[in-house]
Formats: sequence, C-alpha cells, structure tokens
Amino acid sequence: MSDLLSVENLTMKFGGLIAIDDLSFNAKNNQITSIIGPNGAGKTTVFNCLTGFYKPTTGQMYLHQLDHKVSLRKYTDFKIAHVAKVARTFQNIRLFPAMSVLENLLVAQHNELMIASGYSLYGLLNLKSYKEKEQKAVDKSKYWLDIIGLTHRADDNAGDLPYGDQRKLEIVRAMCIEPKLLCLDEPAAGLNPKESADLNKLLKFIKNEKKTGILLIEHDMSVVMGISDHVVVLNYGKKIFEGTADQTKKSKEVIEAYLGVDE
Amino acid sequence: MDKQDIIKSFKDSLFTGLIALALFGPIVGLRTASKGEGLFITPQWGIVFLLVGLCIFGRFLININSFRRTEFKFISVFNSKLSSITEDKAKHFAITGILFAVVFPFLPFTDRYFMDVAIMILTYIMLGWGLNIVVGLAGLLDLGYVAFYAVGAYSYALIATTFGWSFWICLPLAGIFAAFFGILLGFPVLRLRGDYLAIVTLGFGEIIRIILINWYEVTNGPDGITGIPRPSFFGLPFKRSPDEGEFSFHTFFGLEYSTMHRIIFLYYLILVLALITNYFTLKIRKLPVGRAWEALREDEIACKSLGVNPTNTKLTAFAIGAMFGGFAGSFFATRQAFISPESFTFIESAIIVAIVVLGGMGSQTGVVLASIFLIGITEIFRDLEQYRMIAFGGAMVLIMVFKPKGILANRKPTILMHGDKK
Repeated sequence: MSDLLSVENLTMKFGGLIAIDDLSFNAKNNQITSIIGPNGAGKTTVFNCLTGFYKPTTGQMYLHQLDHKVSLRKYTDFKIAHVAKVARTFQNIRLFPAMSVLENLLVAQHNELMIASGYSLYGLLNLKSYKEKEQKAVDKSKYWLDIIGLTHRADDNAGDLPYGDQRKLEIVRAMCIEPKLLCLDEPAAGLNPKESADLNKLLKFIKNEKKTGILLIEHDMSVVMGISDHVVVLNYGKKIFEGTADQTKKSKEVIEAYLGVDE
Repeated sequence: MDKQDIIKSFKDSLFTGLIALALFGPIVGLRTASKGEGLFITPQWGIVFLLVGLCIFGRFLININSFRRTEFKFISVFNSKLSSITEDKAKHFAITGILFAVVFPFLPFTDRYFMDVAIMILTYIMLGWGLNIVVGLAGLLDLGYVAFYAVGAYSYALIATTFGWSFWICLPLAGIFAAFFGILLGFPVLRLRGDYLAIVTLGFGEIIRIILINWYEVTNGPDGITGIPRPSFFGLPFKRSPDEGEFSFHTFFGLEYSTMHRIIFLYYLILVLALITNYFTLKIRKLPVGRAWEALREDEIACKSLGVNPTNTKLTAFAIGAMFGGFAGSFFATRQAFISPESFTFIESAIIVAIVVLGGMGSQTGVVLASIFLIGITEIFRDLEQYRMIAFGGAMVLIMVFKPKGILANRKPTILMHGDKK
C-alpha cells in the first residue's frame, strides 16, 4: 500500500504553548488512520494544520499524488479543499442549517458548477449545457443520499434533520468534493450505538469503494478499534505510539496516557 | 384572574407611570419660551399628567390582558393569514401586484401626488431588492448602502452634464461605477463579520457623503449639481415646445401637452428597472454563486472547508448589490434633475436596511410589502410634518412585535429533488 499523506516534524506553537511537538506519521491510501489521545492532546490542531486553517510553525505535510508529492503548506484556506482535495468535517457539525439537504451537497460541488455556469453567465442565459451539468450534480447528490438513506428528505432544511443524520450528511457533503483525503473530526460524537454502527459501515464503504484515504479523530473506541487500519496516539502534542488497533490496545504507553501511571 | 394578579398588574402600571413621569416631566413638562429679554420656563404639568395617566392606563390594560392569556383576535387571524402565504401563493400575489403596477397610472383616482408616492415606493423597492443580495442572501450587514446610491446618482449627473450623453448610456456607466465602489468597499471588510462589518460600512457611507460635500471642484459641494438632463422617450424629449424641425413626445404622438407624460414615463422606467433587479436576483439565487452567498451567510468556515472562495463570493455580492444601488441612483438623479449630498444621509441607509429586515431577510415579496407599508404609512401622515416619523417608527415596532422574523420569513429551496409536493 502506498503512502497518501506524510507529516514530517510538524510543530505548532501558540505563543508559549506547544500544541504539537515534532510530530511525524504517515497515512496510507485506502486505509483508515485514526488519531487518538486524551482531551487536549492536539488532535484537532493537527487537522487544522492539515486543512489550512492554521499555518504550522515548522514541519512539512505532503500529499502523495501518482508521481509527485504536493506540499500542503503551499495552500491556505479554501484552496486545500479546492486544489489539494483534502476534505474535512468538524467536531461541532457545520452544515448550512437553513438550506436544504440537496443545496448543502450542491454547495460542495460549487467549483465545478461555477465553471459549468460560465461564472453565472451561461446560467443567466439559461443555456442547456449548464442545465445538464446541474442535473449531473443533482444526480451525484442523489447517489450519496441514497447511500445514507436520506433521499426522501432531500428538500428539507439540513437543520431540521436528527443529529445522527446531520453527522452523516456532513460526511457525504465532504465526499462530494471528491477528496483524496478525508479528515473526520469526531464523527461518532453524540451518536447512539446503532448510529455508530451505521457510521462504521459508511466509512468502510468510502474506504473500499471510493478508494479514499481517511484520517479519523475519535474518542469512541468501538469505532476506532472496529475500523482503523492504523492508529496514531498523541499525548501533549507528542506521538506516544503508532501501530495497528490490536497493538494499540495492548500498548503500555497508551494505557498509561489514558489511565495514568501508578506512583 | 384573582385579586393578587390585579394588585400585581396595578403595581406594575404604577411603576410604568413613574418611568413615564421621569421621561415626560423634563421633556414635555418644562417648556422654554423666549419672552423679550430672555428664556423663561413655562411648566405644562397638565399635559404631563395626562400622558402619564395614559401610560398607566395602557399598561394596566395590557397586564390584565396578558393575565387572561387571551390574544387580540385580529392579530392571530392576521398572523395565520400571513404565514399561509407560501412562495406559490406569493407567485400569484406577485403577478397580481405587477399587473396592478402596470395599470396603476391609468386608474381614475391616480393623480400627480399618487404617482410621486408610487415612484418613491418603487425606488425604495428597487434599493431594497439590491440590498437584499448583500444583506438577505450573503448575510453581510451593510449600513452604508446609500453610498452606492450616491455614487450612481453623482456619476450619472457628472457624466450627463459634462458629456451630454443620453440616459441609456449613462445608466450602465453609473452602475459600473457603483459596482467598482462596491468592490472598493469589499476589500477592506473581507475579514469582518456582523457588528464590525456594520460599523465599517456605516463609516464608508459617511466617507462618500463627506467627500461629496468637500470635493467642491468636482461635485460642486453642498450646492449640488443642477440641470441634470431628463430622460427622453427613445429620443423624443418631454418638452412643451420642441426645437425647430424636431418632435417632442406629445407632438409626435399627437397628444395634448401634459406634465403627466413625463411622470408616467418615469414611473414605468423605475418599474422596469426594479423588475429587472428582481428577475436578476431570483435567477442568480438559483445559480452556484447565489447558493454560495447563502452558504456563506450560514457558515463561512464550512464554506472554506468545501473549497468555496469566500473572497470572490463576498466581492461579487458587494459589487452586484452596489450596481443595482447605482442604477437606482441614476434614476433618482434624472427624476430630480438636481442632486446634493443632503439626499444621501445615513437615514436613507437605515430605511433601506429596515425594509430588507422587516420584509424578511432574503424575501423578495417581503421587500415590496415592507416598502409599501413603511413609506406608505409615512406618506399618509405627511400632514403631521415632523411627527410622521413617529408613524414610521410605529410601523417598524408593529412589524417587529407581530412578525419578529420579518413579514415573509419562509425560504424556499433554490432547487428541488422531488419537485413541488404541496
């Protein structure tokens, strides 16, 4: 399996606080890589660096393409999603609550639709070519809604969906930009056991059928242990362990980090 | 309702009376009058006690009513009627409204005064629709919208008086200038949201007005620009006596000369301009850029995570909103034939924002209703002179109390997967 993402010596300082300290790890194609660790370990900060919301103090992040590698540092802000094709979800759901489910998915296809609409010109002129492209975008949305079983609610406001459905919608919305790497920030937070199981199925589908690499932050161990191919454990911004799910369960360092050390 | 409730509400009304006394006492009670060699205070305690008494009585009535938990019936009926207006019904409503607007100048009761008010209302509707793009769709609270109105009016006036070009050439130029100023304002405020954005845009509106006052060489300062050419009917001027060998509107069509011709023409002009604004907005709302505006209003961070460029999206909203403000401005200039910075004060921005917010953010029909309601009520009470602003304020309070989200607050998705079910 080839590498998809390599993080090399990543350090992020906020004033005197070192949130991430010299972190290096790799994530592979077609794999689910989980980042776990106690609260405040710096997991979300890693995501914010990867997805361009923060500029890391030092260190490099590379996304491997077919024959070359792209430095994520070069891209900031919206370009991470647009050019580098790294998508993410958020710890606290960030849908567009007053817009319909379908519109949420169409906004995710904004850049293609913008070009198809000739930067609004063809759209204003009602050209057929735009109408066709728009229908294609709707079909793609329908494909994803069918997978999460929300097609019947496509025209309802996203804010009116139950919590678990909102989580799933946010994930497929991120999938609509056709990412190479999907970063999920605690997707199972607040879900009941049945919804967690559904989520596992969805993530496995994305991994196996869509060949998308997934980077996962999660506290729910049933999710992490059930689907992770690779686990990276952080504590106080440092990597304390890296290995498969089974190895992680047995690791002394990890147990110490979570449960404390005997004096 | 038991005795305790009555005592409680009575106490509360007395407290209201106390506040009323503190307010009305100095404001109404002490009237200064100049008699000969100085100012004297004439007390008017009678009126003060009357007002305080009214406040106590009114408060008592409201209290008792709220304890009974009964609502005024007409309000609930009115409310349920309004909320039943879905976008489909709004469509019928819009068509009826447009038809009415088209025949309005030829209705028997329509006189010069009605026409003037109608033109004014239409101007505000157009401005409201223009600002709706910025505030209602993109969610950028712009308190300086009048600046673009001013830029449009002044660029029209300056181009038309300097080069003598016709209205139809100057109009798009004025729109382009205003759009340019929209982008100019857009750049520094890209990172701002909410209150901070509102403050900066408010400042921008004032900057434009102050430049207009002080740049005497170009704008003629507070004296304003006079002799702005009137629009012509496809080359036919509205003149009583046309030049030798030329036609004017009434001689060409063989009509009796009437000043109403021009008024009616102006009315249709603003009607068409407003409808173009509306058509454009309805259309662009359903395009990717329109959806991106609304997404930006909902959650900017989520937009960035999906690869939507917030800079371009915001700037287009500012530019397009400003362009329509500029169109409205050139219409204003050509209608008045005289403009001065006086016409572009902050109160104008406030009225336009009020129209958008009270109409229901993002609702096109709401803007129409709010304009008619706010401007119409203010006009009905014109005889009260400066007190008519009380009617304006009252109308605003009424809408906010009974329709806190705006007159029409239901949003219809821009695209449906399952078609219209209702």
